[in-house]
Amino acid sequence: MLGPDTAAYLIVSAFLFATGALGVLIRRSPLIVLLSLEIMLNGANLALIAFSRHFANGDGQIFALAVMAVAASEVVVGLGLIVAMARKKLELDVDKLSSLRG
Amino acid sequence: MTAAAWICLLLPLGSAALITLLGTAVSRRTAGWIATLSCGGAFAAAVVSFVSMLGRSPEDRSELSTAYSWLAAGNFKVGLSILTDPLSMLMMLIVTGVGSLIVAYSLGYMDGDDEERRYFAYMSLFVFSMLMLVQGGNLLLLLVGWGLVGLSSYLLIGFHHERPSAVAAAKKAFVMNAFGDATMAVAFFVLIQKTGSLEFATVFSKAGGLSSTVLALVALGLLGGAVAKSAQLPLQTWLPDAMEGPTPVSALIHAATMVTAGVYLIVRTHPLFELTPHVQEVAAGLGTATLLMAGLIALVQNDIKRVIAYSTMSQIGYMFLGAGIGAYANAMFLLMAHAFFKALLFLGAGIVIHALHGEQDIRRMGGLRRLMPRTWWAMLVGGLALAGMPPLSGFFAKDSILAAALAREDWYGDVLFGVGVAGAFLTGLYTFRMLFVVFGGEQSAYVREHPPHAGDDRLVDWSMGLTVGVLAVLAVLGGWIQFADRWTAVTNFLEPVARSVVEASGTQETVASICAVLLGLTGIGVAWWVYSARRSPAPRSWAVLEHKFYFDELYNGLFYWPAVAWSRILDWTVEGPLVNGSIAGVATATRRTGGLFRALQTGLVRLYAFAVAAGLAVLVLVFIAVR
Repeated sequence: MLGPDTAAYLIVSAFLFATGALGVLIRRSPLIVLLSLEIMLNGANLALIAFSRHFANGDGQIFALAVMAVAASEVVVGLGLIVAMARKKLELDVDKLSSLRG
Repeated sequence: MTAAAWICLLLPLGSAALITLLGTAVSRRTAGWIATLSCGGAFAAAVVSFVSMLGRSPEDRSELSTAYSWLAAGNFKVGLSILTDPLSMLMMLIVTGVGSLIVAYSLGYMDGDDEERRYFAYMSLFVFSMLMLVQGGNLLLLLVGWGLVGLSSYLLIGFHHERPSAVAAAKKAFVMNAFGDATMAVAFFVLIQKTGSLEFATVFSKAGGLSSTVLALVALGLLGGAVAKSAQLPLQTWLPDAMEGPTPVSALIHAATMVTAGVYLIVRTHPLFELTPHVQEVAAGLGTATLLMAGLIALVQNDIKRVIAYSTMSQIGYMFLGAGIGAYANAMFLLMAHAFFKALLFLGAGIVIHALHGEQDIRRMGGLRRLMPRTWWAMLVGGLALAGMPPLSGFFAKDSILAAALAREDWYGDVLFGVGVAGAFLTGLYTFRMLFVVFGGEQSAYVREHPPHAGDDRLVDWSMGLTVGVLAVLAVLGGWIQFADRWTAVTNFLEPVARSVVEASGTQETVASICAVLLGLTGIGVAWWVYSARRSPAPRSWAVLEHKFYFDELYNGLFYWPAVAWSRILDWTVEGPLVNGSIAGVATATRRTGGLFRALQTGLVRLYAFAVAAGLAVLVLVFIAVR
């Protein structure tokens, strides 16, 4: 097996995921939240591919491809929403968008 | 024979279904033609069946035809079958013959009504229901027809559903009939329990082995049904209110279908009644009491249709009297004659009402004889037949029933005879009071203001005039098929099914005829003296008659008001606190619990994300720990 072994990939993957999760939890700009989400997805993708290589099984790679496609569509929707919010001159702060409060 | 009987049964049902399914695809008049032709076709089928029956020997004239096994529960089996025998054949001929004439008359009478299609569909259904009742091959199918007749009468009495009084009358008829249905159902349950069957033959053959209590219960149950359907005491109050329906409907209810069903039931199940002579005597007594009471009430009625309605009640009383003393053939003979002249009277009254723009109060009519001579003659024929004047049909039929009462030769028979003869006097009086007030004398103010309009539509005139004409001929000739003691075609025809228990001798026939005709003539004479010649002032009517012997008031007090009061009490004690309270309680509890959980929904997206992440972290920890 060429390159570093699986554990190294998994460490990077966990780091990416944690970074993304932290970003989602602490940042308030919807743009950054969306970006952090993408980082989380990529962390998960990395883990999938690493395991795929580890077990010499192609399934994980297919999964990763599917996740990328989903992520791309999600970004389209998310960015569209953010642009719409900006157009409406709404404040770009997720904490301010709390009209669903019970 | 049987195939034609099936066709006779199914044609009116087909017509009802066809008119309903076609809806607005056919014109109103086409719907009327469909109903008329189907009922006429049913009559033709009945005639074919009748002719083929006459071709057989008298012992071989009963035939049970089963289409398929309808219901099977253990040993209890009921087939969808029709019984074709002389009794059901006679009823089929009456129902379809008079029924199709009435439907044809409706073509003209209902012309231009908004809901003609619905009307004709109901009429066909009514004829089918009655055929189902008389042709049903076992007691269960008879009950099916019985219930369907109740339903169709409800639909037709309430035909003018925009009128509250019509709706109330329809409900009244239905409820009173449902009471009779219930007692009949009880009788059938007892029969199933004790004999394990509802087939006529099986029930009748096993009935002899039953205890007298059981038999009395069964006979009383059947009598309850018969009394309710035939509007006899004490369930008679629905019939006059049923006049809210269109006039041809009244004719159909009174002449061809419905009220005659009770008489048919007693004659059909006569083996059961003969085993319980006391119940049968009760039937005769009820009929006799009804004929007297209805005759008295008819004297003070001012609605032309109600006078005729009470006369029906009275005539059915005679039939019950006949069936109750075991003179089945005579009862059926009067049933047939009555169908002719009562349909004639109703349809004639319909022409009067139609011509006077819907007016039904005889006090506002008068002097119509010159304006409507043909209707006058038709009504006169009907009235004479009703009063039992020779040689019209009522004479032959009614007098033989009175003679049969004499033939009992005990005190009970003599009482029945006496009351029946008194009823003949009342019949002459009230019938000719109506005829003289409506047709005789000077033209009333109302008639002068609203002259009878000449028909501008030939079909309307033809359908109404021709059918009344045919019925007038039948009312004259219909009685000639039997002249008791000399020429007994009806009795002979019915003998294989219902052999009469009492046979009147020639002397008794003569005595009964002379008494009835003399008293009937006296009644007519008094009516002429008071209402036509006006030699003496019309007597003041009595409150007790105006109020129909307070039966409505009694039933209101006994059943209606207690039911209302009880419902009010239940409303206060159960409905309010318990039912409404529990529903309100469930709603309040849900709302309070919801309020508690509302606080969790902060609307902060990051908090939700944190909850998800934390939940995931906990799950991961649990996963590791459990491993």
